[in-house]
Amino acid sequence: MWPKVPEGKESPQSSPVPVQAPMNAGVGSLASVVAPVVMNPASLPSQIPQSSAISAGLRIRGEITGHSDLLIDGQVQGSIRLANSKVTVGPHGSVQADIEAREIVIEGKIRGNLNASENIRLGPKSDVQGSMLTPRVAIEDGARLRGKVEMLRPGEAKRGAAAGQSKTSVISTPIAALKE
Amino acid sequence: MNWMAKQRFGVSAATAPREPAHKPGPATAVAAAPPANHRTSNGLKEFLWLINDVRNGRILDLGQVSQATLTFFIEKGYRISTEDFLRSWKEFLTAEEERLRLAPVGDEGDKISQARLAEMFLEGSLHYPEESFHGVLAWDLFDYFDAELLPRVMERLYSLLHPAGALLAMFHSRPAERFHRYRIVNPQTIELLPAPTLAVHARVFQNREILDLFGKFRSSKTFVGRDQLREALFLK
Repeated sequence: MWPKVPEGKESPQSSPVPVQAPMNAGVGSLASVVAPVVMNPASLPSQIPQSSAISAGLRIRGEITGHSDLLIDGQVQGSIRLANSKVTVGPHGSVQADIEAREIVIEGKIRGNLNASENIRLGPKSDVQGSMLTPRVAIEDGARLRGKVEMLRPGEAKRGAAAGQSKTSVISTPIAALKE
Repeated sequence: MNWMAKQRFGVSAATAPREPAHKPGPATAVAAAPPANHRTSNGLKEFLWLINDVRNGRILDLGQVSQATLTFFIEKGYRISTEDFLRSWKEFLTAEEERLRLAPVGDEGDKISQARLAEMFLEGSLHYPEESFHGVLAWDLFDYFDAELLPRVMERLYSLLHPAGALLAMFHSRPAERFHRYRIVNPQTIELLPAPTLAVHARVFQNREILDLFGKFRSSKTFVGRDQLREALFLK
C-alpha cells in the first residue's frame, strides 16, 4: 500500500523538491514548463492564466503551486498544490506526487495522495496508488485504485483550505488512529 | 461487532425480520425480474449485519474498485480501502517472468520457488497496520491462488482484521466457466460482472478444506447458492 505518513509530517513526495536539471536534460524549470496554453500577450500582466499544460514528453520535478487549471500529459514528480483549480492527469500522464486541488481528474497513472475540495474522477484507464480525500468521487469501470478512500463534507475541506493546511497529512492516517 | 452476542439473543441476519426497502404498491405489484447477473447474497447480508455496530468502520475490498461498492459503504459511514489483489498478483508474476527471461543463463535468480515468489509478492502488498479493518471483502480470490500464496494471504488478512472483524469470501463448487468481478447492488444483492480472464481458476475447495484453511478464525458460516457459488463468512 501507499506508505502511511504520521500526521503532522510531510511525506517525502509532498516536500518541495528543487528543480535540478537544465532544460537540455529533459527537466525544465517550472516557470518555463508550466506555461499557459492560451495567452493573450496584451493582457498577460493583469490576468491569471486559465489553463496550463505539461505536455507528453516533458518531465519535471518540483513543487507546483498557483491558481491555474493544469493538464498533465507528461511526467511530474514532487507536489502539486492548486487549491482552487482543476488538475487533470491525461492518459499519457505519469505523476508521482501528492495533488491538492479543487477538482482532480485522473486518466493516467499516479502514485500519490489526492485531496480535492470538490470532487475526484477516475477514468476507465486510470491507475491510482494512494489515498483519496474528497467530498465526491466518481470511478469509472476499469479504473484501478490501490489505496484508501475517505469522504469529507464540503465544509470540512474548505475549512482546511482556508487555514492553509496541507491535506496530505489528513489523508495519511497515523497507525495509532487506525487502531482506535 | 459481536456475532456470538447477537446470536445469543436468538436473532441472526438470515432470520431477523426486515422491512422491505420499498413496499410494493399497486403500480409495482408485478416486479420486474432481477437481471441475470444479479444474485442474492446471504453472505453479504450477514457480513453487513456483523459490522453494523461499528462506528467509522474500515473495509478492505480486494476486488476491482467499483463506484457502486465504494458508494455503498461510504454512504453508510465506512471508510474503504481497495486493492485489486488478483491483478497485482498477476502483474507481479508477469514481471518476474520477464525478469527471468532476461536473466543470464545459470543465474541464481531463475531458481525462485513458488513459496519465495509468494513471500516476495506479499512484501509489496497488503501493507496495512495490523487490525486495521473491521471487514474484508475477498470475493472469490482464494480460488485463483496457488498452494503457496493461499495460506500466506489468509494469515495476512487475519492479522489485518480487527478482533471480531469479518471476512467474506466465495468459493466455486466447480471450476468457474468465466472470470467475474463483483460489486454490491444493495445490502443483499451483488452483481457479477464478466471480465477478461485475469487468472486461471486454480482449484475447487471442499468444505473441509475451507474450514481447515480458515481454522484460525473463531467461527464461520457458509451459504450455498444455486449458482455453484458458496459464500463463506469468517469471524475473527
